[in-house]
Amino acid sequence: MSRLLDRVPAYVREFESYVPSRPDPVLMRQYGVTGLHRLNNNENALGPPPLAQEAIAAFDPHRAAIYPPGDAYDLRAALAAKFGKSPDQFLVGNGSCEVISSVVRAFCQPGDAVVTADKTFAVYEWVARFSGVEPVLVPLRDQAIDAGGMLAAVTARTKVVFICNPNNPTGTWWNRQTLETFLAGLAGRAVVVLDEAYREYVTDPDFPDGLEVLTRHPHVLVFRTFSKMYGLAGLRVGYLCGSQEAVDIVRRTHIAYSVNALGQIAATAALADDAGHIAATRGMVAQARSFLRDLFDGLGLEYVAGEGNFLMARTPVSDTLLYRRLMREGVMIRTMTGFRFPNWIRVSLVEEPAMAAFAAALKKVLDKP
Amino acid sequence: MSADCRLAMDVPSDVGFARVLTAAAEALALRGGFGRRESLRFQLTVEEFFGCLTETVDASQAIRVVLTGKKHLLRAAFDFEAASLSLGGLNVVAAAPACAASEPAGDLGLLLAGKAADRFHIEHRGERRFGLEAEVDKAYPPGAAVQAPAAYPAPFTARAGSDAGQLAYAAALAAAAYPAWHCPGSFQTPGKFADMIEDGQVRCVVATDAAGQPAGLLSWTPCSDRGLYFSGPFVFAPGQDGAAVARVLVEAFLSLVGREKYEIVLSLRATPDAPDGYFESLGELKLCREDACRPQQVLFRHLREDAGLAVWRHPDLEAFLLDAYDRLAMFRNFLNAPSPTSRPRRESLLGANLDRKRDLGELRTLLDGEDLVDNLRRHVAALRQRGLGNIFYYMDLSQEWEAALAGDLTAAGFTPSVVLPHGGRGDLVVWQHVPAA
Ligand SMILES: Cc1ncc(COP(=O)(O)O)c(C=O)c1O
Repeated sequence: MSRLLDRVPAYVREFESYVPSRPDPVLMRQYGVTGLHRLNNNENALGPPPLAQEAIAAFDPHRAAIYPPGDAYDLRAALAAKFGKSPDQFLVGNGSCEVISSVVRAFCQPGDAVVTADKTFAVYEWVARFSGVEPVLVPLRDQAIDAGGMLAAVTARTKVVFICNPNNPTGTWWNRQTLETFLAGLAGRAVVVLDEAYREYVTDPDFPDGLEVLTRHPHVLVFRTFSKMYGLAGLRVGYLCGSQEAVDIVRRTHIAYSVNALGQIAATAALADDAGHIAATRGMVAQARSFLRDLFDGLGLEYVAGEGNFLMARTPVSDTLLYRRLMREGVMIRTMTGFRFPNWIRVSLVEEPAMAAFAAALKKVLDKP
Repeated sequence: MSADCRLAMDVPSDVGFARVLTAAAEALALRGGFGRRESLRFQLTVEEFFGCLTETVDASQAIRVVLTGKKHLLRAAFDFEAASLSLGGLNVVAAAPACAASEPAGDLGLLLAGKAADRFHIEHRGERRFGLEAEVDKAYPPGAAVQAPAAYPAPFTARAGSDAGQLAYAAALAAAAYPAWHCPGSFQTPGKFADMIEDGQVRCVVATDAAGQPAGLLSWTPCSDRGLYFSGPFVFAPGQDGAAVARVLVEAFLSLVGREKYEIVLSLRATPDAPDGYFESLGELKLCREDACRPQQVLFRHLREDAGLAVWRHPDLEAFLLDAYDRLAMFRNFLNAPSPTSRPRRESLLGANLDRKRDLGELRTLLDGEDLVDNLRRHVAALRQRGLGNIFYYMDLSQEWEAALAGDLTAAGFTPSVVLPHGGRGDLVVWQHVPAA
C-alpha cells in the first residue's frame, strides 16, 4: 500500500510544481487570436544586441554535436575583462535561476533558513521550500524591501539573505547607503545575494554596483542575467560573481556543462558591443513607462512605476479574470496574485505598437472609452 | 496536528473482531475528552460500518481501520478491497440484508449503518479498492451571547488568526450577525472553531481595528488538491468601515494563499459583503432548509493564469458549457463524450457525502452500471426521506466516462447549475436535483 509519494520527503510532497505558460501557438489557439503581445515575462522586445544576433546567425549547426566549454571558459574570460575581475570569480548558469539553486545547495541544509521579502521574485522562496529550507518572508514597507525588517529576521539558522535589487515586481531599490547600512548591521552573519537581474535598466548614480560592493564584502554574491537587457532569455544564460572563496564553495554544487554552446557564444558577443543596445533599450523602456503612466492616470488606476522594464498596476477586477479577457484580445500580461499582490498586474515595457495594443485592449475589457 | 491520537489496525474481515474496534473507539473517545453520547455514537458507527464491510470483503482479506481522535472530532477510516460480486452493496442505499441483521427488512445498508455519524463518505481508490470515512463531532457548548464592541476605530488590518480567545469571540460575533447559511457550522460553537483552526484544517484571517478588537473574519479550508473553499467575509464594523474591513480581509486571504499550491478559491456560501472586483460569479444554486429556499451566488477566483484544459462534453451539455465558458472568458478544448452504448457492469456504484447539519447530500458516480438512472433515483428518494433536501451531483469533465453520463442525470431529475473551473481533477459541473413539481 506504500505509495511513491509516501517515500518522498515532506517538503517535496508539500511542494506543488510550477506550471509555466503554454507556448504561444497553443495560447493563440485557446484564446482564438492570431497574434500575441508578450508583456508578461519582462523580455527585451528589441532582441539581443547586434553582435549577438550575428553570432547566433553564424552558428555552425555541426557544432551542436560538440560539448560546450563545461565551465563557460570564454564567457567568464569576457566577463572578467569587462568588469575587471578574475574569471574564477564568475560562475555561469542555465539562467540565473540555476545559480539560485546552486547557492541554496552550497550553503543550506534541511532545517536551515533563508530570508527574503514576501513580495519579490518567487524562485528564492521556491528553491528553499523544496530543499527543506525555511523561507522567512519579510513584508515590504511602502512597496520596498524593508532593510530593518530583513535584518531583524536573521537568526542563527539563516544561511542566505536574498535581495532583489531593483525588486521585481515593485521596481523599488536600495541605494548605496541603505545597502551599506544593511551589510554593516548583518556583519557577515549570512551570505547576501544581490539579484541584479534588472540593474542595466537603472541609471541613477545612487544605485549600488554589486560588483564593487563585493570587493569590500566577501560574503556578498551578485546575480546577473542575459535574459533581460541582453535579450537572450531563450538561450538561458545567467551568472553569479563573488569573492573567489565564495565562488569556490558554490562551484562544488553547481552542475558543469549546464550552459549550452550557442548561449555561451551569444552572451560573449553581447558583452562586446552593448552600449548602443543598452541606450536604445532604455529609451524604449522610458517611453513605454511614460505611456503607461498616462494611460493609468487617465483610467484612474493606481500603479507603481519604479526601475526595471516593467510596471505594476492595480486592477478594478480580479487580475486573473483580466488576464483571460486580455488574452482574448491577444495581449498577455502577468497576474500578481502569485506575487501576493491580488488584483495587480505587471506589464513589461516594450515598443510602442505593443503598448498601444495593450492600452486599447485594457480599455475595451474594462469597458472604458 | 500533533495533538491527534491515531490508531491503525489491519483487522480480519470477521464480525467477531467488532468488539476490538468498539473498545478502541471507546478508548479514543475517552482519551480525547469526548462526552458519553459522542463516545457511544462513535462506537456504534465503527461497529455498524465494520459489520457491513465484513459482508462485502472476502473473509481472507483484512480491512485496514484507522481511528483518529482530533480535538474536535473522531474519525473512523476503512480501507478495503471489495469482493467483485458485491460492489453494488456498497451503495449507501443498497438493500443489503446481511448488513441489517438486527434491523427491519428492506433497509438501506450503509445509510443505516451511518445513522450515528455526523457525516460519512465512500470513495473509489482504484480497481476494487475503496475507502470509507465517517466522523462524529465533539459536542461543544453553544456560544454564549456576546457583546459587540460599541465602535470600531479605523484603520483596519488583517492577519492570520491564531489566538483561540480572539477566534472564538470573532466566530461568535459572526454567528450573531449573519444567517446560519453563511456560517461554518462551527461558528455556533465558537470553541470548536478555535480548535479547528489549531488543528490546521481550517485557516482564517481576522481583521482588527485600531484598538485591536476583531472587526471581521474570513475562513477557508481545502476542498480538493487544487481548490480552497472560503466562508465570509464576515464584517462587524458598519457602513463604509465595513467595506474597508471586507477589503483587508480579502486582500490578506488572497496574499496568504496566492503562492500556495492551490489554483482556485471558491465559495457556495459567500456573504454579500464580498468586495467588488475580487471574485467572479459562477452562477447560482438554490438552497433550501425546511421549506424556505433562496438563491446563493457561487463565487470563484483563480489564483494564477488559467492554462486551459481539455474537457469532455456530452451533447446534452453543449449549450450549457459553451455559455458558461464564454462568460468566464475561459478557453477549453472540447472532446466529445456521447452517451455510453453499453455499460461495463450491471450494478452501478455511487459515492455519497452526507452532511446532516447542512441538509446536504452530495453524489458522484464511482462505477457506471446498467442501473445508474434507477440507482440515482433510489439515492435521491432515500436522501429526501431523511430530510437532506439539497442534493448535488458532481461531474468531473476530465473523465470521459463521467461526462458521458449527462443523459442519465437528466433522466434522474438533475439539472446542471454551475461549472467550477479546476474544482476537481479538471473542471467540475455541479448538478442539482430539482424535485418534480
Ligand atoms: C529578479 C529576477 N531574477 C532572476 C530572474 C531569472 O532570470 P534567468 O532567465 O536568468 O533565469 C528573473 C526573471 O524573471 C528575475 O525577475
